[in-house]
Amino acid sequence: MKTKTFILIALSSILLSIIWIALTPILFPPVQSETSREAPFPGFSAPDFTLTNLDGEAYSLSDFKNRPVLVFIWASWCSVCKSTMPGLQKVYTEYAALGFEIMAVNTTYQDNLTSAVNYFTSQNFSYLFLLDQDGSVSQTYQVHALPTAILVDPTGMVHDVVIGSGMSPGLLRAQLDEILEESE
Amino acid sequence: MFPVIDIGPIAIQSAGLILLLGFFFGTWLTTYFAKNLGTNGTVIENSLLYGLISGILGARIGFVLQNPNIFVGNIWSIFSPTPTMLSGGFGLLVGSIVAIIIAQKNHLPLLPTLDTLSPFVLMMFTSIHLANLAEGNAFGLSTNLPWGIELWGTVRHPVQLYAVFISVIILCWILGKTNFLHTTGFLKSGILINLTLALLSMTTIFIRAFIDRKILLGPIDVWQLGGLIVLIINILLIYKQSFQNQKPISVFFSMGSNLKAEINLENARNRLSESFKIRRASSIYRTEPVKNGNQKTYYLNQILELETAYSFSELREHLKEIEKEFGRDTGNRKQIPLDLDILSYHTEVFIFNGKNIPDPDIVKYRYIAEPLAEIAPNFRHPGTGVSIESILKSIEDTAKVEKIKESDNGPEK
Repeated sequence: MKTKTFILIALSSILLSIIWIALTPILFPPVQSETSREAPFPGFSAPDFTLTNLDGEAYSLSDFKNRPVLVFIWASWCSVCKSTMPGLQKVYTEYAALGFEIMAVNTTYQDNLTSAVNYFTSQNFSYLFLLDQDGSVSQTYQVHALPTAILVDPTGMVHDVVIGSGMSPGLLRAQLDEILEESE
Repeated sequence: MFPVIDIGPIAIQSAGLILLLGFFFGTWLTTYFAKNLGTNGTVIENSLLYGLISGILGARIGFVLQNPNIFVGNIWSIFSPTPTMLSGGFGLLVGSIVAIIIAQKNHLPLLPTLDTLSPFVLMMFTSIHLANLAEGNAFGLSTNLPWGIELWGTVRHPVQLYAVFISVIILCWILGKTNFLHTTGFLKSGILINLTLALLSMTTIFIRAFIDRKILLGPIDVWQLGGLIVLIINILLIYKQSFQNQKPISVFFSMGSNLKAEINLENARNRLSESFKIRRASSIYRTEPVKNGNQKTYYLNQILELETAYSFSELREHLKEIEKEFGRDTGNRKQIPLDLDILSYHTEVFIFNGKNIPDPDIVKYRYIAEPLAEIAPNFRHPGTGVSIESILKSIEDTAKVEKIKESDNGPEK
């Protein structure tokens, strides 16, 4: 390749790139109103849902506005779920006074209800035990592995989504401190 | 959304799996490329693997350092096999440092090694964007275009797929240019990787426009700015490598003859010194023929290092002419008045008309390696970085090589 041809190609690629970078804010202006959109992903508004507990009492995510909520989607056959839940109870006891709520959503549509109930009551968990009978919450929250933990901040925004064993007491505490500090 | 593959407590999520697959496929392509090119596939593969392992460890250590409170009172959770508690940046740093240290210890030559890594870089770029698609990360702006994808509550630009699509095109182009990873396609080392990085930075600049939630510095997206810097650096490097005035470089080549050998070699040296500055000349060696099995006539061989500003093809033409002047008849394979073989051309690694530079015979035959070790005891193979000492130790060739005439122009003192 001749030097001239190379310089021509090189300069035009740089120039085109600069023009594209300069055009980007004009052609694709930053969107401000995105925050009201609902999606199970950090930075979006957490989709609302209503489920009942064993006694048939209905609870909605929106009932806990202005409070941090952990939506924890689990099943009784999922060993990782069961190894995580006692840790959640610890943090729940510490932070309940600050308004923290946990909604343990059992994937009842693909779980054995009796063993789920047996497990939950044997552990004396004091947070909410909700039944997702038709799988609608799993669907809304695009659950593809258990457990899936969704931490929602007091403004109703998804703060973090943790799939697997990651939602340890330490991580949960650290995130709650962060959320509570922000909302003060 | 891709399905999740759940193997007990170690939930390798689809994104992680895609990255691992990309890593291994990229490593495989690079090792294959190294074999064809004559660079050090084994060491490159090892540095990548150790880089990966230490990168994952480093990512966890980085996360612990950033969030020490999480592990207070529950120190064992540091070893929890969950992919969320990783710090990507720190992992990349640690992994690269480990890979670079291994490469340095083995004296891997920088530019040929980087060229060999081009397919790896491309595969990682592709798999990072596929992983982003699987995770729903780095999502695009909402759009009405027919190819938009439903993600996070609206129809969006499939920006991750734009990146994958373009990088696959670049990969195809590179496969074509390198004749399916058999040559770099250039006579200079380093150009292939510079070109790959330049193309990938242009891809990044292009696709970042469609990204929702850009990281802005004023009105400008940081990734686009970074891409522009990488693009300019790589274009300048290509320019420097290809078009800047050539300084005289060093070429090692071997002379051989089995017909009036002693006279021919001496005349050839005189003839060569008319066109080149001869830096060093080895002793003359009497060697058993290695290539034509039945032949009984011994050869005389000598290795010279000369200085030239000729391009590789000019040099090759010039040497062929000299061979002809000495009566070389390419049809006659038994009687060879003069044979001139370029062994290495500066520090470049390339393939020209099917001939590998540096010549693979360096690591195969004693009649080349021994005189080379004599005049250049510090020589390292430009492709693999292996020292001439180790090359000599590992040569399996048993043909007799005997020094018959001491050089009067041996190793530089």
